[in-house]
Amino acid sequence: MAQNTSAIQPHQLTSQRGRQVITAHLTALGFLMPSLIFLGVFVFYPLVKTVYYSFFLTNALGQPVKFIGLANYATLLHDPVFLKSLWVTLIFVAAVTSLTTICALYLANLARKHLRGTVIFRTLFASTMGVSVSVASVLWLFFFQPTTGVSDMILNFFHLPPIHWLTGNVWALVAVILTVVWMNLGFAFLAISGALENVPTHLYETAEIEGVTPWLKFRFITLPHISPTLFFVATVTMINAFQTFGQVDLLTKGGPNNHTNLIVYQIYRDAFVNLNVGKASTESMLLAILIALVTFAQFKLTEKRVMYQ
Amino acid sequence: MMKKIATIIIVSLTFLVAIVLGVAHGKTPTASANQRTTIVFWHSMGGKPAAALKQLVAQYNASQDKYTVVPEYQGAYTESLPKYLNVANSSAAPALVQAQEIATSTMLSTQSTIPMSQLLSNQTTDQIEDNIARYYTVNQQLQAMPFNTSTPVLYYNKGLVEQLGLTPLPEDPSYSDVLQLAKAMTAKTGGKTKGMTIEAYGWLFEELTANQNQLLANHDNGRAPGEYATKINIDTPAAKRLMQLMTQAIQDKSFVNYGSGDIAEANQQTAFLAGKLGLFMQSSASTGDLQANAKFKLGVTYLPHADGIPRNGLALGGAALWANKHQPANVKQGVADFLKFMASAESQAQWRLATGYLAVNKNAKNLPQITSAVAKDPNLGVATQQLATSQKNPVTAGPLVPIMPIARTNMETVMQAIANGAPIDQSLKVAQDTTNQALAAYNAANHLKK
Repeated sequence: MAQNTSAIQPHQLTSQRGRQVITAHLTALGFLMPSLIFLGVFVFYPLVKTVYYSFFLTNALGQPVKFIGLANYATLLHDPVFLKSLWVTLIFVAAVTSLTTICALYLANLARKHLRGTVIFRTLFASTMGVSVSVASVLWLFFFQPTTGVSDMILNFFHLPPIHWLTGNVWALVAVILTVVWMNLGFAFLAISGALENVPTHLYETAEIEGVTPWLKFRFITLPHISPTLFFVATVTMINAFQTFGQVDLLTKGGPNNHTNLIVYQIYRDAFVNLNVGKASTESMLLAILIALVTFAQFKLTEKRVMYQ
Repeated sequence: MMKKIATIIIVSLTFLVAIVLGVAHGKTPTASANQRTTIVFWHSMGGKPAAALKQLVAQYNASQDKYTVVPEYQGAYTESLPKYLNVANSSAAPALVQAQEIATSTMLSTQSTIPMSQLLSNQTTDQIEDNIARYYTVNQQLQAMPFNTSTPVLYYNKGLVEQLGLTPLPEDPSYSDVLQLAKAMTAKTGGKTKGMTIEAYGWLFEELTANQNQLLANHDNGRAPGEYATKINIDTPAAKRLMQLMTQAIQDKSFVNYGSGDIAEANQQTAFLAGKLGLFMQSSASTGDLQANAKFKLGVTYLPHADGIPRNGLALGGAALWANKHQPANVKQGVADFLKFMASAESQAQWRLATGYLAVNKNAKNLPQITSAVAKDPNLGVATQQLATSQKNPVTAGPLVPIMPIARTNMETVMQAIANGAPIDQSLKVAQDTTNQALAAYNAANHLKK
């Protein structure tokens, strides 16, 4: 065998190497197969189909009946309801992302010290993770209900006018934002708490000896160390916020006057209630592009400030 | 190496086969052991009506040994309709499906159903209450079997009204009757009870304008032979009067806004039962529930009419049962037999007493169980009376319009905007324009040949 190897000609070598490359690729393909099949069936096929539908007029049965090119896109970009929905979604996402991250950071900092009883608070703060969207919405409804809700009772006690949580143009969006932030808080709190535990304690001890103020410790030791986690929490929260559906469906149905009509809810309405698949597909494409753009911008703008160890 | 590849390929293939088998298994028809023919029945009833429906189906299944009706809950109307549309003309279609009244035009456009006039004998279809049958009659044929049917009525806290020394509402109140009572209730209770609300609900908008004899769509509400709706009327004098009713109540400080959707409906009902809301309008199907839970004397009247405009009456709301045409002959016979049972006076009387929906059979109201129940509680008869005394014209036949969900959303948007202080004329115009754009787009996609 050893003798033969030394006698191999260059062209034999390349063909053998070529075969090796092919087998390596086949092996890789074999390993990738299950996920390729799944992604293909459940992600890429629907994606391609969505793009396809967005170029068509569709009938009540959802069948594409007439190719209209980019007309769906042109109509949507002039549709006041869709533009309002776009605007509301941007406000909503910005508010949810910033409030969730800031509140979770604040709570995690509070529950950081190892005192008696902090475990109870940690459990409480993280507990919203285990609450489903529908339960959370119903819980908050008890608070928001006009005339019989908790909010009204409290305000009434102090002889204050009621707040129109679910029916006022501005308050309705505030109500939905509150509910979503409250729900996201559990996960964000847990992630940030974990990151805080990992900041090396000797840095704080050194700072202590130097007599550094708590704010400066937080600013120059804590923040840089937890910045990857903060970035992760903000990105995940943002993408989740873009996809918020349940709270809107249960609390406001997009009302009043479309002030809580997030794009995902509008897509649902157009596809399954208004039975206009072409329009819904176009809206989905625009949403996908929007999420991609915002995520890209977020990476470009904030990742530089993130300190990876 | 080859062994590894082979293993991977085998694993992947097994996976695929398992998926295919799993799918195929789901489609295997369930053969009944005792030679009964299975009739799949998709419905959208929840809560009390679901229990009453299952009871009726169980009674039917026990009454004969040829067919087994299998009721399957497919989610609310808006969830079950898209499911049906996906399978309407395939072998996966159910034999019978319940669809909401505003889906009538969409159901017809599937061309997947058999009209009741062909499936059932005249003897059965002639027993359906005229004012109910008219809604589902298209091209002179009864297209679906009306099932759960209701009209909106006005509910008010009659006990409180009497306690405050105010005059109860007449059977057919006018807008000013309603406004005055709401204002007086709010004032006399020092704001503890808010006078009234009108839920931002498209159905109420439609009915309150129908009551003023306002057509919602051109071509006789889309029902003229050989025609279809090409224009929707939302910006009308009738709608304006309705909006003025709302703004007047808001000005009187006797109006509470509960928003729209099921939550609004639940909230206003809770407030009403707690004595914090004086009057509201909702489906007559709630009469029984309210009666059972109200700790005060309940008042029920017709939906109010605008001052100086004679009351025209209402179109029905609710849902009907549609028979799919792609079914074997024995299944079709079973569907016909089951529908005959469901539409009978006895079944309808039972359904009515259990749920509060109207009986669709003409003869049900003369059965002793109904007459004694209405004698005991006259409130139960109000909705029946309201529909029976409605004028017979295209307005009360109801709109045969495909994009009703969009039209309703736009009406709800107007009502919410006005409750938040938006100008009436402009809001109505915007709603009318956006609805007509949606209708034009629908017609462009669905009437290509014309």
